[in-house]
Amino acid sequence: MSFSFLAPLFLAGFAAVAIPIVIHLTHRERRQTVAFPSLMFVRRVPFRTVRRQRIRHWLLFLLRAAAVILLVAAFARPLLDTPGLESAALGTAREVVILLDRSSSMGFEGRWTRATDAAKRAIDGLGPSDRATIVLFADRAEAANQATSNAAVLRSTIDAARPSPRRTQYGPALQLARDILEASELPRREALLITDFQRVGWQGQQDLRLPDGTALSTVDVSEEDAVNVAATGASVERAGTQDRSSVTVLGRIANLGATAVADLNVTLEIDSREVAAQTIAVPANGAASVRFAAVSVPDRETRGRLRIRGDGLPTDDDFHFVVAPPQTMPILIVHHPGARASELLYLREALSIGFDPSFDVSVTSTARLAAGDLAGRAVVVLYDAPYPQGAVGGRLTQFVRDGGGLLVVLGRRTGGAAWPSELSESLGTVNSPTDRLDARGGTVSILDYEHALFEPFGTPRGGDFSAGRFFRYHRYQPGSTSVVLARFDDGAVALAETPVGDGRAMVWTSGLDNQWNNLPVQPVFLPFVHQLGRYLSRYRQTPIAYVAGQVIDLDGDDALSPQQPAQDASEEIVVETPAGGRFAIEPDGDNRTLELEEHGFYLLRTLETADAPKVIAANPDPVESDLTPLDPEELTGAIAARDAEEQRTAELAAALTPVQKERRQGLWWYILIAALFVLVSETLLAGRLTRGKPLGPRSAET
Amino acid sequence: MSTTRFLDPHVLARINSLDLLARTVVDGFINGLHHSPYFGLSVDFAEHRPYMPGDDIRRVDWRVFGRTDRFYVKEFEADTNANFSVLFDVSASMGYSSHGVSKLDYGRFLAACLAYFSRQQRDRVGIVTFSDDVIDYVPCSAKHLEIVLHTIDRLEARGRGSFEAPLLKVAEILRRRSILLVISDLYEDPATIVRALDRLRHKGNDVIVFHVLDPAEVEFPFDEAAQFEDLETGERMPVVPETLREEYGALLAAHRQSLIDLMAQHQLDYHFFDTSAPLDYALFEYLSRRERMSRVR
Repeated sequence: MSFSFLAPLFLAGFAAVAIPIVIHLTHRERRQTVAFPSLMFVRRVPFRTVRRQRIRHWLLFLLRAAAVILLVAAFARPLLDTPGLESAALGTAREVVILLDRSSSMGFEGRWTRATDAAKRAIDGLGPSDRATIVLFADRAEAANQATSNAAVLRSTIDAARPSPRRTQYGPALQLARDILEASELPRREALLITDFQRVGWQGQQDLRLPDGTALSTVDVSEEDAVNVAATGASVERAGTQDRSSVTVLGRIANLGATAVADLNVTLEIDSREVAAQTIAVPANGAASVRFAAVSVPDRETRGRLRIRGDGLPTDDDFHFVVAPPQTMPILIVHHPGARASELLYLREALSIGFDPSFDVSVTSTARLAAGDLAGRAVVVLYDAPYPQGAVGGRLTQFVRDGGGLLVVLGRRTGGAAWPSELSESLGTVNSPTDRLDARGGTVSILDYEHALFEPFGTPRGGDFSAGRFFRYHRYQPGSTSVVLARFDDGAVALAETPVGDGRAMVWTSGLDNQWNNLPVQPVFLPFVHQLGRYLSRYRQTPIAYVAGQVIDLDGDDALSPQQPAQDASEEIVVETPAGGRFAIEPDGDNRTLELEEHGFYLLRTLETADAPKVIAANPDPVESDLTPLDPEELTGAIAARDAEEQRTAELAAALTPVQKERRQGLWWYILIAALFVLVSETLLAGRLTRGKPLGPRSAET
Repeated sequence: MSTTRFLDPHVLARINSLDLLARTVVDGFINGLHHSPYFGLSVDFAEHRPYMPGDDIRRVDWRVFGRTDRFYVKEFEADTNANFSVLFDVSASMGYSSHGVSKLDYGRFLAACLAYFSRQQRDRVGIVTFSDDVIDYVPCSAKHLEIVLHTIDRLEARGRGSFEAPLLKVAEILRRRSILLVISDLYEDPATIVRALDRLRHKGNDVIVFHVLDPAEVEFPFDEAAQFEDLETGERMPVVPETLREEYGALLAAHRQSLIDLMAQHQLDYHFFDTSAPLDYALFEYLSRRERMSRVR
């Protein structure tokens, strides 16, 4: 308990005690003149100075001094600062947020046990009026329970929690903790961060400061010099065009510890069967690759797994992947009936040597083209031929509208390239060819490298289109909806894309037969043609593995079978999780998504694919394997709230109700009343003393 | 109800009529004494003395001349009614009062009572009021009681006090020997006072001095420092009463003692009155002393 004053400056008023002292030492002259019959005798008495006086009327003097002291004390607003009063004002109830890291790294040996033990100790320390919320976090955070003081509920929440394969991100957890604490009406706020302080989880966010007054404490469950070796990735290569059933797996192993690992046994499993094993050495803080001999895989989606042994963090010791069957893109080349076979040579050969995907090229002429020829095709190349008329033309248009790809290669037989009426506006106008023979031909000088088609060529050494010389090309006026992707050096259009319905139509204005240009003999020709085929066929390479935490759009661009139409949205998809759980994803009209919560293989089945389910491999985020710890003070210093005591003092005033404030400051009332009582007594006493003193004849008093 | 209750100066101050007041006091007082032996009848024979040139021949006792053939003059105790004159100091200082009855009031009571008393004795009564000069003069006469009372009634304290000049003038005015009652607070040098009074006594007057003071003048009970103003001169002085109370008392006591001594030497009858003392007590004190002195005489 301490005694203080709200307005200590008023204590200077104690100097006013000198006033009654002076009054009682000196004899104040009355304002009224005292009439006296004769000063004959008074005149004869020698004058005395005040210094020779002494205090008169001790009781009156003491009363006056006490009145001054009490008044000064009352105005100084004394405070009786007792801990009990403060507690009563602020209360002792705490809002505790226990931030429990359950990222993949918490699966390292012993960490999770230590973390849960620390959380339970914190729960045991809760008072009856305290509330706690357990926030489980990895790359995202969730409150596992409503704020409660029920220790049993909190403990069961801790017991039910398990490390997830997700990576660590402190930001969402701290944001959630801040939200919870800010919303709390309890007077004390505390946050307990239980984590292994992985450096990869903290990007130094400056705006994640806990609410003022929050007491932040941490529990570091990490170990010094933790050694972790992880299987961080793999790539699968088909053996080639001869044996498409063989694949070569290249695994990547990372050593994220400070100690080199020798004789690390790495095994390759296909369909849960170990098919190969190698022993490698991985340097400290380094990585190594391991290439396994080609293995045969069935012509379906096959589960593969890289596995290493003897590690403290088992979740990243396995790398799961899927070996997808080779994909083939059916392409139909439709040429002019009068075209020679050599004119198609470069294009056909370029497409035939492609793999991943491979292209199944069929060739026909416009004369023989039937509507049925378009069935099952991904791309139709209208090679130097007029657009088919009649039903076939309509079928081709519909093919494009339904999502197919159309590449129109303009040549000498194209003529005016009369489009169907419904496409004439969108596909634009083809004019007569332009010769560039006099200047050694033109070049393609403007490419839209941000377009998906040319994106692979945008990197250094990605392909040199400027080597190709273009001696003749059609002047092409794109349609209203067309996008020009490439232009010649004179500004003429080289390649334009026009969306038609769900499909894509492209117009190449200079032929692909080494006559109007020499592009087919340039190195960039092959990848360019392949890229055209992939783009027009909407080919997307299926990832061999996903990262846990990713969300897969089962109906959209992340369709599980890119070479096939997306999953029938009306079908129910049954998902079998790596842990063996099953759940159904109902068709609901919107894009259906699947969040990969576990690591391992997800199996997706529909009624049609019940026997050959879609396999999705999910692995922990490789960055989570880096156990390099963060200095806890770096994190806590960045997020710690303003000084808790300072804030608590500031909150005290704000938290006190007016009644409590009055109670704290009520002392001055009592003192003031005492002062008034003393003053009344002084008045009575002074009056009594004064009444006993004759002042003079009434007639002389004024 | 005891009549002495009315002799309290405070009570008497409530009586507006001095006539009534004097009658109340004197009658009650006389009733208490039953008999007044001091003044008596003044026609009693005292002695014979030889005729001296200048004596009124009407006073020659012819019977004695017939028997002895010598002229003798008859002497009476009082050959006629005595003159009783009040010399009233009405200077401003007499107006002082600390408890309701001023010295002027107190003197007024005394003067009225004694005038009435004297008139009861068939004396002639008169009054002279003075401050630094004679203000009112009422010659002694058997018919002047009312005038005397009226004069006493309208007395006002004013002016500076002095003894020399007014009493000298009084000595010249008074032709007959009289009983002179001087009522004053005697703020004057004792020697000066006595000198002035002695001049009256030498002319055959019987001088009685009533020294009237207020209790506050005696005790000086003031406590707080203040400007003290002299009622007569208007002079002001800063006074710290506490510091000079003792010395003031000593000076006053010395003053009174000086008056007592000097007046005793000059056969002046001196009486001190405190205005808080009952009036009958004052009268009794006075008459008792007069009786003792007359016997001695």
